[in-house]
Amino acid sequence: MDHFPTNWGRPRNDAVDVYGTHPIHSRPNNHPKDAFADGVQRTQQPIVTGTSVLAIKYKDGIMMAADNLASYGSLARFKDIQRLHPVGQYTVIGAGGDMSDFQYIQRILEELSVDEIAAQDGHELGPVEIHEYMSQVMYARRSKINPLWNSLIIGGFKDGKRFLSYVDLLGTTYSASTLATGYGSYIALPLLRKAVEGYEDALTEEQARKIIQESMRVLFYRDARSLNKYQIATITAAGVWVSDSLHLETSWDFAEDIRGYGAQTQ
Amino acid sequence: MTSIGTGYDLSASTYSPDGRIFQVEYANKAVENSGTAIGLRVKDGVVLAVEKLVHSKLLVPGANRRIQTIDRHIGMATAGLLADGRNISNRARSESASIRKTWSEQPTVNAISNRIALYAQVYTLYSSVRPFGISTIFAGIDKNGPSLYVVEPSGVCLGYHGAAIGKGRQLAKTELEKLNLSELSTREAVMEAARIIYLVHDDNKEKEFELEMSWIGDETNGLHVPVPADLLTEADRKAKEALENFE
Amino acid sequence: MFRNTYDSDNTVFSPQGRLHQVEYALEAVKQGSAAVGLRSKTHAILLALKRSTGELASYQQKMFRIDDHVGIAIAGLTSDARVLSNFMRQQALSDRMVFNRPTPVNRLVSALADKAQVNTQDYGRRPYGVGFLVIGQDQTGPHLFEFSPSGNSYEYFAMSIGARSQSAKTYLEKHYESFTDCTLEELIKHGLHALRETLQQDKELNVNNTSISITGPSGLHEKPVSPLGKFRIVEGDAVKVYLESMDEKVTDEAPASVPPAVAADEDVQMSG
Repeated sequence: MDHFPTNWGRPRNDAVDVYGTHPIHSRPNNHPKDAFADGVQRTQQPIVTGTSVLAIKYKDGIMMAADNLASYGSLARFKDIQRLHPVGQYTVIGAGGDMSDFQYIQRILEELSVDEIAAQDGHELGPVEIHEYMSQVMYARRSKINPLWNSLIIGGFKDGKRFLSYVDLLGTTYSASTLATGYGSYIALPLLRKAVEGYEDALTEEQARKIIQESMRVLFYRDARSLNKYQIATITAAGVWVSDSLHLETSWDFAEDIRGYGAQTQ
Repeated sequence: MTSIGTGYDLSASTYSPDGRIFQVEYANKAVENSGTAIGLRVKDGVVLAVEKLVHSKLLVPGANRRIQTIDRHIGMATAGLLADGRNISNRARSESASIRKTWSEQPTVNAISNRIALYAQVYTLYSSVRPFGISTIFAGIDKNGPSLYVVEPSGVCLGYHGAAIGKGRQLAKTELEKLNLSELSTREAVMEAARIIYLVHDDNKEKEFELEMSWIGDETNGLHVPVPADLLTEADRKAKEALENFE
Repeated sequence: MFRNTYDSDNTVFSPQGRLHQVEYALEAVKQGSAAVGLRSKTHAILLALKRSTGELASYQQKMFRIDDHVGIAIAGLTSDARVLSNFMRQQALSDRMVFNRPTPVNRLVSALADKAQVNTQDYGRRPYGVGFLVIGQDQTGPHLFEFSPSGNSYEYFAMSIGARSQSAKTYLEKHYESFTDCTLEELIKHGLHALRETLQQDKELNVNNTSISITGPSGLHEKPVSPLGKFRIVEGDAVKVYLESMDEKVTDEAPASVPPAVAADEDVQMSG
């Protein structure tokens, strides 16, 4: 039905309207024709993605780990991506989610660092400041409905204090003595909590490394978007250190007993 | 032709009948009245040194710097109106950031100096602004190796092996010319720079001064940083000794 | 009408390379009543002399809080000061919001100076007519800065601005080496002595015309402050205890001679 009363009882002729009887609002083409006419669609999903980041507190500071994989959908597309990024002398930021968004984040943090260095006045950005900054960036972007599609873990050590906190594409932040993003937050977090909570001030670097390594191994077994090549970062009073790529030893012997695997057909 | 009283010297947008822009020349006067700043481009690095005139003993030593950092690998020293120097340094930082953003690589000292020269030149065109009352030495190490440039109030930008601006520039230039700059190490250049600053300082006429130095070289990992305290003290001491022998 | 050909606007250099309009703006600072700032290794304080236009009028406001850790004392045009202090508050708040940190005092002052510099170079504006003493505490301890309309800022151990500030400066230069280890009470006493030097012959400091502000741990005569060491202004009766601590002024037969302004031709510092 025609809901415009001015149209009622009039002859309809879209091609010729000699007397200008046709109502303005229903004249053909009387609507905007710009790029926004059909509405704007923004990022709906990440494209090239990184999976879990793990981080724990231990006696000397913070330990973080992430594998070297960037997936394109289910394809293991890039196997030499570093997802742990040092910022200044006190902070490491680890990222899961969209890798191009993460590269953008690295760029803005680089710009920030240069500004900070240029001041040369004894003030430096620590993990607390960088986390606050990132949370503002993430929240501002999500409020424009154009989020940076990442979950970030920011860990650091400055002025004798450990810092570990999380921020994601919604701008949500929280802190805990163990943090994990992505699949790791389901699979690894319970393991980390059990091993770390209550022992934050007792765990040695060696113990912490073992906990991280075990969790990474479990993740590689369970997470189809993970890789057995990963890096560990520590942030302590001595500064930031990011390891070379490490290899995870895994055993797949059990697979033979799984139905549908390999030559076994029933 | 004289400038004063003719009316041709009241605006940067006015030429005098013989083709000079007096406002730019007057801006140079502001530079010439300020404490000396020098830059040495040597074999493996660059050194900046400034004769920072201390107008009050209540000033905190070491604060109130006249050498500034533009990017990790670029520094700058100014002579002239201090506030104008800060304006230039802010501009240089944003130029550097924008080049870095566009090309994803370290901006060259040449690029920054030329952009700043363009910026300074614009202030010599209009009656609605005055030229910058400073000369700036840019120093850094980039993909072309050690670099040293000077930008003047007129917008002129030139590369140098050794540069001097400010009150004592004539004497400083004479001293710089005596050095074999391309053979010196950065560490040696620090000593020479300190010596020259002490030499050009006129004890009788001027207030006290503080020696301020920065360097960029292999020893600093290519970063522009202040000369470390122990080296500065040593350079300071040697400069004073050299001065006594000189006289 | 004009003192010379080159002083009518700020886009003109004099043949000596001077900016007369900027120098006149510095004179505006000297029209304001004096403010004094001092710093020890734990505290930074400001003291200022408030004027009143008459018996029925209140005393002017000389001090402004910028943030919990920063405050200023002004000399010159109060209306300009209000605009600039607003700017400083915005800067401070922005650093709180973006980085969750108290803004570094030196950067705050530099940002202010950079803003003022523009007014010394572009036509159609005048330089600001107000000088600040800025105190604050940040990661690198207590600080005292001077800001002036020329777009310069300097960090000092102690400083004074405004009318007859030279006399206060003379006092400060004589004693500044002892300030570092002063207690808050001693520091305030020094400050009051310096401020007293700026008074006209028949005037004296009292609870109405004296303002004190402090950053740093609370002193003996204060209630505990929270957050720790925040900027606070002490006025009215609370000032009494400090005024009473002052020593009698030793009156020389010859009043301290004020040295003449620096010879004009070598003045490129443009600091008052």
